Amino acid sequence: MKRIFLAVALLASGCGVQPSGIVDSGEAPTGVAEGTTLYFVDARGELQPSVLRTERLGTVSEALSLLLSRPGQDASRHTEIAETSVTRVVVTTETGLIRVLLPLTAEDVTPLGIDQIVCTALGVHVQSGGTRTMKVRIRFTQTTPASEVDRTCPLIR
Amino acid sequence: MIGRRWRGGLRPRLLVAFVTVTVLGAAAAAWSSAGSASTALVESSQRRLAEAVTNQVATIAPGLTFPPTQDALELLRSAVGPNALVTRGDLRAAEGLDLFTDSLRDAVRTRSRLVSQRAVAEGRPWLLIGTPVMITAVDGTRTASGIEVYVARDLSAVDDEIDGMARTAGLTAALALPFAVLLAWLAASSVLRPVRNLRDTARRLAVGDLEARSRPEGSDELADLTVTINEMAGSVQTSMAAMRRMQADARRFAADVSHELRTPLSTLTAVVEVLAMTADRMEPDARESAQLAITETQRLVTLVEDLMEVSRFDAGTAELRVEDVDVTTAVRQCLRARSWLDEVELTAPAGLFARLDRRRLDVVVANLAGNALRHGAPPVRVTVSATADTVRIEVCDNGPGIPAHVLPHVFDRFYKADTARARTPGSGLGLAIAQENARLHGGDLTVSNLRSGGARFVLTLPRDAGER
Repeated sequence: MKRIFLAVALLASGCGVQPSGIVDSGEAPTGVAEGTTLYFVDARGELQPSVLRTERLGTVSEALSLLLSRPGQDASRHTEIAETSVTRVVVTTETGLIRVLLPLTAEDVTPLGIDQIVCTALGVHVQSGGTRTMKVRIRFTQTTPASEVDRTCPLIR
Repeated sequence: MIGRRWRGGLRPRLLVAFVTVTVLGAAAAAWSSAGSASTALVESSQRRLAEAVTNQVATIAPGLTFPPTQDALELLRSAVGPNALVTRGDLRAAEGLDLFTDSLRDAVRTRSRLVSQRAVAEGRPWLLIGTPVMITAVDGTRTASGIEVYVARDLSAVDDEIDGMARTAGLTAALALPFAVLLAWLAASSVLRPVRNLRDTARRLAVGDLEARSRPEGSDELADLTVTINEMAGSVQTSMAAMRRMQADARRFAADVSHELRTPLSTLTAVVEVLAMTADRMEPDARESAQLAITETQRLVTLVEDLMEVSRFDAGTAELRVEDVDVTTAVRQCLRARSWLDEVELTAPAGLFARLDRRRLDVVVANLAGNALRHGAPPVRVTVSATADTVRIEVCDNGPGIPAHVLPHVFDRFYKADTARARTPGSGLGLAIAQENARLHGGDLTVSNLRSGGARFVLTLPRDAGER
């Protein structure tokens, strides 16, 4: 009888946390970058990514604010978003969808300009470790039918 | 060590086997469930901790200066908590224990994925997590940034939880013990009750109660055994009854024969007496024949009387007439009546009284002394002695003794030691009757050979035969 109890005790004591070998436990985290990737339109009217050396990736909101502040334009690239004194952009992220509230009206942005915004937002999202299938919904200061469209970036698919 | 005595009975054996099986089963079940539960617990907490580290790093990474400065590494280090190490090239930010092995660092560098390892340090279990921080391009390609994060998380809480589970499992197994004992007790009782019944029945059969039977219960092997034993008892009873009937028939036949012979025999005796009175006047040839007829008739009378006596013993109708007897006087009178006093050396204390059947004592002593005189050689000694409870009469002769192969049969009826010497004056029933008489008193008659040769018969009788 005693021996049985001893065996039970031995078995029970062998159940604790045991040392193990090295095991794979998933994807490594990501999110560091030398700068923020913004999208501009080149001379041929096509979208072009351009890294602004901010020494950090930053958030979607920060990237869009940078885009609205129209940095580093020259002959090879320009932006098709109208100039605005307010660059504050509100970004909310939910499952499968990034909502962007711009301090602009629909008339301030061309379709290429909208692609610029969508690609910049998605670019930061992907670089932060997010999925590439994310949709972006843009809302302007005025309600328009364009606000209700789920958009994707033609360059990030 | 369980003693040998413990293993003896069926009940303790059943009990031990039952309890052992139950406890082993409960322990095995508890162990395996506790084992799988602890594995699941460890794995889930490991996954949770790894995810937490990933989230902590991913949350702070977009705001991190890149290429990182020492400050940036310290920020990252403080974000993932204590016991952490963050490196990039020569830069290094560390706090708390450094438990991270080279093999873990190699794995982080070569695999470019989050890896983990369980280890024991300072008497506590730890989960070591190592991961590179990646740079993801807008097109999704990932490259190593050179930043490596190592974190050690204490698993003591998980360990305690597992210990608690193991304790609970052990307790559950222990709780099964009293139930196992109870069940084993009940099972043992249900098996042992029929066995005990069978034992009782067998015991009753052994002491002669042939009516004893067990009632079979159920339809198991024990019930089969019970039925078989009942059948056995039945057939034994039948054959015993048949044997008794045959014995009784044989005895009744002997009794009837001797009874039927008595009447013609008394007539014959009367005739022979007349013949004896006239024998003296006969011719010598006729006289010899007459003498022979007289002798044989007397033998026949003796034989029939003995047969009737034996029949009475067999039928259990022999009566013991107990009276106060002076044993010495009775023995002397017995010998004197047969005119043997000159040939027999009688040694007897005076005034030895006992309550006996005088006639039967006379029959036995006469038979023993007669046999000694007839078959043995002089001197024949009769010695009477007594203890507080018994009277002992010893009859010895000085003859050749009784052959060893005959000794066990001397009290058998009609046993002839020497077939060639078939015609002796006795009936062949004398010693059998003598022994029956001794037993009727509650005593016994035994025979042995003296070392000097010669037979010795010892009659032992109780001082008060009426007490029986």
